[in-house]
Order: sequence, then structure tokens, then C-alpha cells
Amino acid sequence: MILFLLGILVFALVGALLFTEPIRGVGAQYVAIACLAGFDTVCGGIRSGLEGKFHNEVFVTGFVFNVAIAFFLAWLGDQIGVPLFLAAALVLGSRIFTNLSLIRRFLLTKWQDARDRKRSQRQPGTST
Amino acid sequence: MNPFASRITGNSWVIPVLLLSLVLGIMVRMAWVTKDTVRDRSRYFSPDQQSRVLASFQNVQDETAAMNAEIAKLREENTKLQNAMGEGTSQNKILNESLQQTKVYAALTDVEGPGISVILKDGKPREGIGDGEIIIHDVDVLRLVNELRAAGAEAITVNNHRVSGSTSFTCVGPTIYVNGTAVTTPIKVNAIGDPEALTSGIKFPTGVVTEIRSADESMVQILTLKNMRMPPFTGSTTTKFLKVPTQPK
Repeated sequence: MILFLLGILVFALVGALLFTEPIRGVGAQYVAIACLAGFDTVCGGIRSGLEGKFHNEVFVTGFVFNVAIAFFLAWLGDQIGVPLFLAAALVLGSRIFTNLSLIRRFLLTKWQDARDRKRSQRQPGTST
Repeated sequence: MNPFASRITGNSWVIPVLLLSLVLGIMVRMAWVTKDTVRDRSRYFSPDQQSRVLASFQNVQDETAAMNAEIAKLREENTKLQNAMGEGTSQNKILNESLQQTKVYAALTDVEGPGISVILKDGKPREGIGDGEIIIHDVDVLRLVNELRAAGAEAITVNNHRVSGSTSFTCVGPTIYVNGTAVTTPIKVNAIGDPEALTSGIKFPTGVVTEIRSADESMVQILTLKNMRMPPFTGSTTTKFLKVPTQPK
């Protein structure tokens, strides 16, 4: 699992190195909000994978649509003079927190289960 | 052996997650705030973020200052070499003289002479005057430089940054940038030229000096100097697009 999380980091870094030039102008701001949506979807993907509820179609369309919607909301906010990107940042930020905490709890439970199992295997020998 | 296969059951989700994190990496890179993009982006930052992010690019400015010093040194050496070459024959001498004149015109040499010094500083807040009016803006500096030129200034510096043909004045948040380097108030605009002509040339009714003084008299101070020395322009002189046509017109 740790290897897998490292793999995600490595892939993200490779992606960052593939694309060498940050884009100029306000477009970058919309992409920044879209990044949050992408990060949220990746976290959600890991979570559902761990929970065994992963559906490839849901994940990929979720990524594309969330990114597009976040980009669009940030752009629309500028057109109509409402800081909609704040709304997107708030919602997506809290979702990232939720997803990450669920991943953490899942891994923690798994680890504790494994530890308890080991202990119970050892116990019959010591108690008698 | 695939390290993921052993740990994660039915690992159909591993590959999509990895691939989309690659895409995410590209997106993050696209949105990364760098020295070049910070100006476009800073208006989206919250005020405290603005000061933090801008401060992180401050180090770049220290580097820039060091590099500018290096450029000035190298250009000076270049002049020495040109002079040494020019000493040979009379033709070389004439060529070198015209070269040095061109460099003076392009603000690439130290210069000295009489002139005036205009010091602009932010005013004190008081009733009936908006905050915008008691702050020195990039536009004020730009207009003052323009008016000084119109009044016959031959060389101008802003906080000891020499103004050349490619100098720009911009602002990011509360900071004014001259050639991409931050300057803070008080802003000292020095100009070499006829001191009387320069002083009267910037004191006309619709001028920027009059305008600023109408908000607060103490915001502008004009000094006459008998002699001052100015450093050369140390920004880049490299061009990317322009070419000198080889065909006669």
C-alpha cells in the first residue's frame, strides 16, 4: 500500500516534469481550481478502491467532469463578478479532507486488525 | 513481480488512479505560480497570501540585484576593451567614439551632471481624502518620468534604477516594480538636465506633481542638485524578435 501511495507521488511528479512551462494569465487560476477537483477525485478513487467499491467508469468520468466543472465555475465567477472559485475551493477542500481521513481510517483499521490477529495467534501458546 | 499485485486485491483500480494522478501532476504544474506568472495571479490571492507569496519571490530579487551588479561590471570591462581597441588607429578611434555615444544614449554607461531630485512618499490619512489618493501609484511614477522627459531630462533614475527605453513601471499589490525589481516609498526620481527647466516643467497645473500635492502637500519634495552620478541600466538588452533589415529601403 505504501508502495502504491509512493507510486501516485512518482506519477504526479513525472506528470509535472513532462509539462515544463506553467501557463500564463488567468487561465492558470482556473486550472488551479481544476487541480483541486482532480485531487479530490484521485483521493475518492483510492478510497473507493480500498472499500472495494471502485468503478472505472465512475472514476474516469468523475475526474473529467469535476475538473471541467471546477474550471467552468471559476471562469463563470469571473464573468459575472462573483468569486465562485472560492465556493469551489471550499467544497473541494473539505471533500479532500473527508476522503483523506476515510483513507487513513481504513488503513488504520486494517493495520489494527492485522495486529490483533497476530496477537490472538500468539495468545493460545502463552495463556495455557 | 508487480509490487502492487500482491497487496491489493483485484487491482483494477490501481492503473486508472495512477494514470489520472499523472494528469493531475501535469495540471498542478500548469497552475504553479512562478516568477513569471505571479503578476497575473496575485489578484486572486487573499491579502495575507499576497504578502506571503510575493515575499517568497523577494529572494529572486536579491539574486537579480547581484546579477545586475555583475552585468554592470562586465559592461564596464567591455567599454575598457573597446577603448583599448580604439586607441590603435584614427579610424578605430572614430568608430569607438560613435559607439560610446550610442551607449550613452542607450543608458548603458555611468553619467553625471546637474539636475533635480523628486521625492514622492505616501501621505498621512485624514478626513475627506480617500486612501487611494494618499498612496503613490505606479502610474504617478510613470507620469512623472514622462513629464521629466518632456521637460528635457537627459537621464533619469528611479530609486537608483536607471530608466532606459525598455524600462517599465508596474505594480503588484502595494509594491511598485521598476524593470521587475520592487521599489518602496519614498520613491526618489532623479533627472539630469537644466534644473530650472525641469522644475518648472513638472509644476504645471494638470501635472502629476500638482495633482499629488492637492491631496497632501508633503507627499512631493523637489530638490535641486548641482551634480549627481547615475548608474547604468542593468536590465537585459537581448532582443528576440527584432532584426535589422539587410536590404536597403
